[in-house]
Amino acid sequence: MKLSRFTSRFYVALGIVFLVAFFGTLGPLLFTGKDLTTVVGGLYDAPSGKAWLGTDNLGHDVFTYLMYGTRSSLIVGVISGLIATFIGVVVGTVAGYVGGAVEETLMAATNIMLAIPQIVVLVLISVALDSRSVTSVAIVIAVTSWPWTARAVRAQASSVRTREHLDIARLSGANTVSIIVFDVLPYMLSYVVMVFVLQISIAILSEAALSLLGLGPSEGTSLGLMLHWALAWESVRNSAWWAFVPPTIMLTMVAFGFLLLQSSLDEVFNPRLRRDSGRKRRKRIASARTAAEAAEAATTSGSGA
Amino acid sequence: MSFTRYLVRKLAWSAGALAVAVFLNFLLPRLIPGNPIDAIVSSLGRGGAEAGTLKAVKEAYTEAFGLDKSMVEQFFIYVNNLLHGDLGKSFTTYPQTVGDLIGEALPWTIALQLPAILIGWIVGNILGALAAYKSGWFDRGAFISSLFVSSVPYYCVAILLLYVFAVVFPVLPPGGGYSFGTTPEWTSAFAADALEHYWLPFLSLLVVFIGGQAVGMRSMAIYELGSDYVNYSRGMGLRDSKIVRYIFRNAMLPQITGLAISIATMVSGAVITEIVFSYPGVGTLLFNAISQTDYPVISGVTLILTVMVLAANFLVDIACGIIDPRIRAAGGVE
Amino acid sequence: MIVMEPVLEPSVPGEILLRASNLRAEYEAASGGIVAVDDVSLSIRDGEVLGVAGESGCGKSTLGAVLSLTARPPLYVLGGELEIAGRKLSFDPDHAPPRLWRGSVVSLLPQGAMNSISPTIRIGDFAVDIIRAHEPGVSRKEAIDRAAERLEQLGLPARALSSYPHQLSGGMKQRVVTVLSTLLNPRLLIADEPTSALDVSTQKVMIELLIELLDRRLVGSVIFVTHDLPVLRMIAHRIAIMYAGRIAEIGETEEIINRARHPYTGALLASVLVPEPQIRRRRITGISGAPPSLADPPPGCRFHPRCNLATDVCRTTQPPQVGDWHQYAACWWAQDHQGEAVVSYL
Repeated sequence: MKLSRFTSRFYVALGIVFLVAFFGTLGPLLFTGKDLTTVVGGLYDAPSGKAWLGTDNLGHDVFTYLMYGTRSSLIVGVISGLIATFIGVVVGTVAGYVGGAVEETLMAATNIMLAIPQIVVLVLISVALDSRSVTSVAIVIAVTSWPWTARAVRAQASSVRTREHLDIARLSGANTVSIIVFDVLPYMLSYVVMVFVLQISIAILSEAALSLLGLGPSEGTSLGLMLHWALAWESVRNSAWWAFVPPTIMLTMVAFGFLLLQSSLDEVFNPRLRRDSGRKRRKRIASARTAAEAAEAATTSGSGA
Repeated sequence: MSFTRYLVRKLAWSAGALAVAVFLNFLLPRLIPGNPIDAIVSSLGRGGAEAGTLKAVKEAYTEAFGLDKSMVEQFFIYVNNLLHGDLGKSFTTYPQTVGDLIGEALPWTIALQLPAILIGWIVGNILGALAAYKSGWFDRGAFISSLFVSSVPYYCVAILLLYVFAVVFPVLPPGGGYSFGTTPEWTSAFAADALEHYWLPFLSLLVVFIGGQAVGMRSMAIYELGSDYVNYSRGMGLRDSKIVRYIFRNAMLPQITGLAISIATMVSGAVITEIVFSYPGVGTLLFNAISQTDYPVISGVTLILTVMVLAANFLVDIACGIIDPRIRAAGGVE
Repeated sequence: MIVMEPVLEPSVPGEILLRASNLRAEYEAASGGIVAVDDVSLSIRDGEVLGVAGESGCGKSTLGAVLSLTARPPLYVLGGELEIAGRKLSFDPDHAPPRLWRGSVVSLLPQGAMNSISPTIRIGDFAVDIIRAHEPGVSRKEAIDRAAERLEQLGLPARALSSYPHQLSGGMKQRVVTVLSTLLNPRLLIADEPTSALDVSTQKVMIELLIELLDRRLVGSVIFVTHDLPVLRMIAHRIAIMYAGRIAEIGETEEIINRARHPYTGALLASVLVPEPQIRRRRITGISGAPPSLADPPPGCRFHPRCNLATDVCRTTQPPQVGDWHQYAACWWAQDHQGEAVVSYL
């Protein structure tokens, strides 16, 4: 019963995420003919056969913008998610595994970064940048959103540090880097996957927040930029719902989808799976032992003969 | 005694974070390629500012920044100004000081955020604890709606509420802190007008805060319900109401610590929400400053936001220390 | 290893204090109910310590939860009766047992006292809450004084009351919890593995505390649930051996240890190091096989799949109780070999 509840939640989340991803990646390939420069009408034309979701403040097709906006939001999410997860995992693992002064220094930096609101650093860096591409926005977000990952990963890494198989690795002369890569990281892989999913959704929302403040990518579009212009050109007060409802719904779907995915992954990766794999492992050890005993018995009887 | 040590430790952390934030505030605007003042003045010129204003701005800015001096000297000038409460002067509304602008905006922001965070925290926790304790349909309904609401971005809730309650059903004003044409004053008529404008931004923040807190409290309380002390207290014949109080107190702790972590997110979310409603707080001030590249104002607002979040975190830490004896004993270990 | 010698006189005469009959409790699971206590009846005399032993999962802790009236979902008490000091209670899954019985009539000494008190309240506050839950009129100061007096009477420091749980050592915490459990002079104390988490010397101090509580008549009788037979040998007057939710054998401690009549008791003893000359010459052995699933117990005697002495009747028919309430073995073999010990047959 529990298992089925988990899977339905997981598949709903996966479904939402895939839907959004397909829309953002395949959409611009399927619905060709218009791009970000095509003007199809005037200010806030209502939805019609010509423009399925009406036009925005400059007469662009909202549907086309929504596809490209979703695409750049996803690009920001993935690039930023990868970088932030990488920095966070490296800092956290090194701190947690090495310990001592290294740990204290890294964690002091992390805690201070955590204490300063992310939006403040985001705004300050973005203001200092001359022009902002989608990639540079993604990098800026990544640089400000790794600290919590580092802190969480450190806790995991220091619990792995005390396990016995690491003593064996150390005694067999493996160096620190190879121990971290081959013996510590695999134990945290499931956790890192969850962190990555969460980082993607954080990055997409951060991009939207930055864009709303007017610090979004300076070329192209994104979900946040669409909202920014819709608000700046008073679409809400003019009842031009097609200008702000589609990006709002898309952002909500992205945020909810990724959060749901993360929490359902948590259910898979956490206690139950570990217990299952533990049981399987014990079973494997047991069968290995039986095989060894059988082999031993075979050799004894062989030498006796 | 150990409580004092704990407080000192926490204070030292906040001071360290503040120092780093001040340093970033100093450094980043100076990293703008080329001579920052020229960049600023030319962009102001494009914005259509008068030539006289531009000249005054340029002189004031050169003097305030002391750009002819070394970076170290500049930093000390900057810190010295800060210590005297001098955040510089705005470009766009020259010669208004940044301090004055923030002074006008900050009360609106605090009046919006503080009640929303406090009420949202209390209501969310009660809702979450009830959901855990009651289970059944109440739990399911409260949990799923809380999970959904808490994962929707603040500004999305704000935009949808604004559209529904100010445009489709125009029962509340569509933004601003007060009606167009009135000026802030201490009269009951103005207070009533401001309150009318207050509801939408307040409710949109409250809904999201409640959702987030309820989700967290529910899982904490469910965890506590299965603990040994609940069983033993029942075994000793204690009343359910007493046991629920124990549970609440213990589940509260991670919730308060959680508040410390999420307060920065809450403040940032609220700042963006102000933009949606054109609410006259620091968020809108920041938005306008960014669109007009008014660096001193941007810098001042980010600094104020940092101070607000650090102060709120420090208060939360004190509350944690008072409630949890283990924190006091350990002197505040992470 | 410390050799645990019997420290109590084997028999303390007294009236029957508690009579539990036909207790049945089950865990609700998705696949159906798991009956963890199946038709258990037992009686205890005033001043007696009854040990309850068995492997993990035999239902001994569940029996403790039922008797201490602390069963909670997913554990449901399906039926049975409890008669204690002249008062009667019928279990009924739809009605909660009276709150005021808990703590004053029957009381619980929990397993692992480490987390038994809410970490954010002082021990003294908890003591006040306990006393006031039963006597609402008592003032806070009066309650604190009573708890302090009790602690000192038993040789424990009264300042423990102003401590938070994490400030006490493991052994001290277990002893303080023991005093709290007996603060209201309960007629029956159900101790669920109270010594299992302690080192051997602290165990001994704990046992002495329990004996002192009995001697001072601060508790009526004690049911001591544990898997640790040497500890039971030290304190219990009688021992009940549970297997798969039922009592396999019950009897005087020395009888059980030296002249077990149920094959399961014999096998269990053979797996424990007992440094008695008549037993210790034997090799330690395990019990082959695993305990049966309580969701689907075997028919007849539940031990028959693992029993060397099983006959056809064991496989089909539930065994009779051979003996009286005070001492019996539920076994077909014992029926056929009245008065004989099982040891020499294993």
